[in-house]
Amino acid sequence: MTTETASMPARDLESAEDIIIAENVDKWFGDFQALDQISMRIKEHEIVVVLGPSGSGKSTFIRCLNRLEEHDSGRIVIDGIEMNDDVRNLNAIRSEVGMVFQQFNLFPHLSVMNNITLGPRKVRRMPKLDADALAMQLLERVGIPEQAEKYPAQLSGGQQQRVAIARALAMQPKIMLFDEPTSALDPEMIKEVLDVMQELARSGMTMIVVTHEMGFAREVADRLMFFDEGSLVEEGTPQHFFENPQEERTKLFLSQIL
Amino acid sequence: MVDMPAQNPQRIVLPPHRERARRPRIVRLREWARRNLFNSRAGTALTIVTAIILGLLIYGVIYFVFVDANWRVITDNRWLLFAGGYPMDQEWRLWFSVGFVFLLIGLTYGTWASLGRRDHLFIVLASGFAILLLAHGGAAIWSTLWYLIAVGLLYAGYAITIRMPREAGPGRTLQQRSVAGLLIAALPIVLIVLLAFGGARPRELEGFVLNLVLAPVGIAGGLVIAIPLALGRASRMKAISWTCTTYIEVVRGAPLLGWLFVALFILDDVIGGELIVRAMVVLAVFTAAYMAEYIRGALQALPGGQSEAAHAVGLNQFQSMQLIVMPQALRISIPPMVGQAISIWKDTTLVTVILPLRELKGNADSAIAQFEFTPDRIEAYVFVAVVFWVVAFIMSRISQRVEGSLGIGER
Repeated sequence: MTTETASMPARDLESAEDIIIAENVDKWFGDFQALDQISMRIKEHEIVVVLGPSGSGKSTFIRCLNRLEEHDSGRIVIDGIEMNDDVRNLNAIRSEVGMVFQQFNLFPHLSVMNNITLGPRKVRRMPKLDADALAMQLLERVGIPEQAEKYPAQLSGGQQQRVAIARALAMQPKIMLFDEPTSALDPEMIKEVLDVMQELARSGMTMIVVTHEMGFAREVADRLMFFDEGSLVEEGTPQHFFENPQEERTKLFLSQIL
Repeated sequence: MVDMPAQNPQRIVLPPHRERARRPRIVRLREWARRNLFNSRAGTALTIVTAIILGLLIYGVIYFVFVDANWRVITDNRWLLFAGGYPMDQEWRLWFSVGFVFLLIGLTYGTWASLGRRDHLFIVLASGFAILLLAHGGAAIWSTLWYLIAVGLLYAGYAITIRMPREAGPGRTLQQRSVAGLLIAALPIVLIVLLAFGGARPRELEGFVLNLVLAPVGIAGGLVIAIPLALGRASRMKAISWTCTTYIEVVRGAPLLGWLFVALFILDDVIGGELIVRAMVVLAVFTAAYMAEYIRGALQALPGGQSEAAHAVGLNQFQSMQLIVMPQALRISIPPMVGQAISIWKDTTLVTVILPLRELKGNADSAIAQFEFTPDRIEAYVFVAVVFWVVAFIMSRISQRVEGSLGIGER
């Protein structure tokens, strides 16, 4: 496995369709405005890394993309499906969007295998044998097939997060959201998770990643977005960000974390 | 690879093992006593006073049990206390149920926990206690045999399941599901065996058997009502949440005794029917209010990430509740639930106070109402207390063991 982005199969982003469209999205928590007029378009196969200080709204934004948070105004369209109160739309969107959480949120009472097969079996009505085969395939992809029958509490943090990625992939989503996937991990386990994410990126998955891992952002991202105080302050290629950021707030943030 | 020589010439040389001088037991015991019992002048005084009181108590108990007490009030009324008005010629139904339940206890133990030394000791002691009482009356030899078979079934169920592989896998899942299914089916099966196909009429359930029927119905019925009640109270829809909250607050606000009065007088007009059914309804409704609160507490204790993750993999609200949230919430609420179960087990004695239902304590009253046994009321009540304690202790023990082994899913 090489880690160079150049070796990726040519992902033709120019001709790709917009798979995520957000227009003037607002979100309030009581009197606090968490998102302020967020607009963006993300193409299929694109890898977007979202940066920003804590409380900047970056997590809230990606949680709006599968409606773990409900946006108050504006539009969100995922793969041509309007995000609204229609439950059918919501179910369709949720089965196209996988999510990986900072705290893994594996189901502690289910084995690794059952964590992964739950979605396919209950939502997609996949027969058990097929679901098990799919799960084993995914566990091999994330590098821990031998852990299939264990329970989450018996795994290390890095292994748990890889199971969480496999669980999300089991629904065969078109888009994967990562909400600070390595922030709760011990340093020596971060790489094993980032490697899996990198492999996923290479396979052509559309990914939105909230992270503080600048190495990952630089190497893997097609585009970076910087959030601050609920606004999308600046966006651009990694080159643009790391060599020539325009906004003062971006510069300040980057100077603090680099 | 070259084959290793059969005898490895390289010996690992250990440093000379220093035997740590183990002091004689008596010395250690003396030191323990000095540290824990005689560590100060006040401590010594307290120890001596406590020892005297304990000694007197133990002497009193032993003297009462083996010398003073007239246990004929129990042995002569064995059937009255055990089953009361239950038709004697249908005795096999009772013992079949006891055997079935014992087998289930064994299966449950073997599947989810392993018996500790104390558990074995306890089962043996409890069995000895029961057999002594049952066998004493002379004609009770069959009961003793039945009881021994039941204990044998308990150990058989345990012996079979404890040998099955514990690792997660399809076999293990099947085993757990089968035992859980049997546990759920146990109550209806026992009721059918006791009552249906030429069995007793409901009003003929009496004595200890009545307690053993009322409590599980109250507990199981309570749980069934409690789950929707807890969810309803947590609901965002105001009408539902207010209704459930009102139910919980009203039911918890009055004593069980009061609700049994309601069963006696008011429910007669509303549902009528057998007294025992009314008692069951009240016990279930009463238990549900408490259990709902325990479940609600567990729901609040569960990290919000669980239902978020469930939604993120596409489960709908109902599936998320059924598959992710409820199983974990119920596990968290096991300890207070068992407390409630034990409490309702003891509260089954109240049906005698209000309703003309004759459970164990009620029939103990009848036993000492007989002329020859009037002086023996202490014996009768001590017996009743011990019986209740034994069952409550079994409940507590099983739950502790099962809870410990369910901890595998803890975060």
